[in-house]
Amino acid sequence: MGNFLSLPILMIAAALQTSLTKQIRLLGGEPDLVFLLVLSWSINSELEQSVVWAFIGGICLDLLSGAPMGASIPGMLILIFGVSGLGQQVYRIGIVILVGLVLIGTLVQQIIFMGIIALTGQRVLWFESLTYVTLPTILYNLLFIIPVYWFVRRIQNGLSRRQIKS
Amino acid sequence: MLRNWRANRIVFFFVCMFLCGGLIIISAAGTIAPVEGVLATPLNFLSGIFNDISQTVNSAITDLSEIQELRQRNAELEEALAQFQAELVGLREINSDYQRLSDLLEYTTSVQNQEFVTADVINFDQSSLLRTIVINRGARDGIARGMPVVTRQGLVGRIVEVSASASRVLLINDPSSYVSARLQTSRAEGSVEGQLTGNLRMIDIPLNADVREGDLVLTSGLGGNFPADIVIGQVTSTRQFEFELNQEAEVRSLINFDTLEFVLVVTSFQPVDISVFENEDAQNP
Repeated sequence: MGNFLSLPILMIAAALQTSLTKQIRLLGGEPDLVFLLVLSWSINSELEQSVVWAFIGGICLDLLSGAPMGASIPGMLILIFGVSGLGQQVYRIGIVILVGLVLIGTLVQQIIFMGIIALTGQRVLWFESLTYVTLPTILYNLLFIIPVYWFVRRIQNGLSRRQIKS
Repeated sequence: MLRNWRANRIVFFFVCMFLCGGLIIISAAGTIAPVEGVLATPLNFLSGIFNDISQTVNSAITDLSEIQELRQRNAELEEALAQFQAELVGLREINSDYQRLSDLLEYTTSVQNQEFVTADVINFDQSSLLRTIVINRGARDGIARGMPVVTRQGLVGRIVEVSASASRVLLINDPSSYVSARLQTSRAEGSVEGQLTGNLRMIDIPLNADVREGDLVLTSGLGGNFPADIVIGQVTSTRQFEFELNQEAEVRSLINFDTLEFVLVVTSFQPVDISVFENEDAQNP
């Protein structure tokens, strides 16, 4: 069920990210809603389902951007595999770990994305991009992770209750 | 089992990354551009809707901020307008003062053998019982009791009280004021007295005198209180009574006593005290 839900949710998130959130852009950074949804989903979900979310989210984002399709996926894949590994090491992922995941995850996601862009022949100003785009995006993601995580948890709880009933 | 799962996960990761890499390569090569176009359609549609919403919201916010700016600008303009209006009032006042002063100057230069002191009116006491004004010139400026006070339009009154720096002027329309007068055309003599209404009346005009509306009434100089030939006003109506030997005329001064601002005191004129002769007449009837 989570796989089916991913399509509309991530489509809407990607559309929002390329339209509404641009209005609250800080320097070159804006909240990465798709990334936050995938991360939030992966914390309390199976790895396979999270991978589906990462692929769908990444493809949606890339279809709306000038980047080659799939460029946004590797960063998210690394993150969700990391989260999956972390989930086996700790009892539960609390707020501090969540903040750490957002911090590191955003950085990894942005660096890998820029690397892919660079590999496809486009010019990337690394230092300027990191300071002008990545840092504000990290700030926004830290701000938005709580409501996004709360939203994802509600959906996951709803799905769990439905599964138990059936 | 655990080792297998971990091994599977690593394989799974690499499979995912391999798929992803392949997707990127074929996308960058443009091979799947038509598919991308089809897939992007619903996303672009959604994005368009959100863009419209975003633009509407943005426009509303911009409008609000513009309204705020306009309000601020309006307040600034209103403040500037108030300032300019105040300046305009000041300039009109200066212009008005200039006109009056130039009139007075013209008058003083036209009158020969007379010396004047220009004074500002600093206080009015124009109740129906008493009609006086206070001017800002006094004994220090050479003002003395009895000196006539005039403007270009005619006689204002005479000095009745003098302090060091101010003087009180009894206006000619005060009920206690009498001025020896003469009609310009017929040369008939009389006296102009003030009325409680603030008007002037010329009394004691001989019955045979030809008095007409519009005749100018001038000071006659008789009695020594005022110099001769200062304009007092114009005749507006006449009255004759069968049982009296004289006739009367209503006189309208050309001066608006309520709006006097500047006056001239004729300092070269010294009133003559003839009360001595009046006392002698009383003692020797």
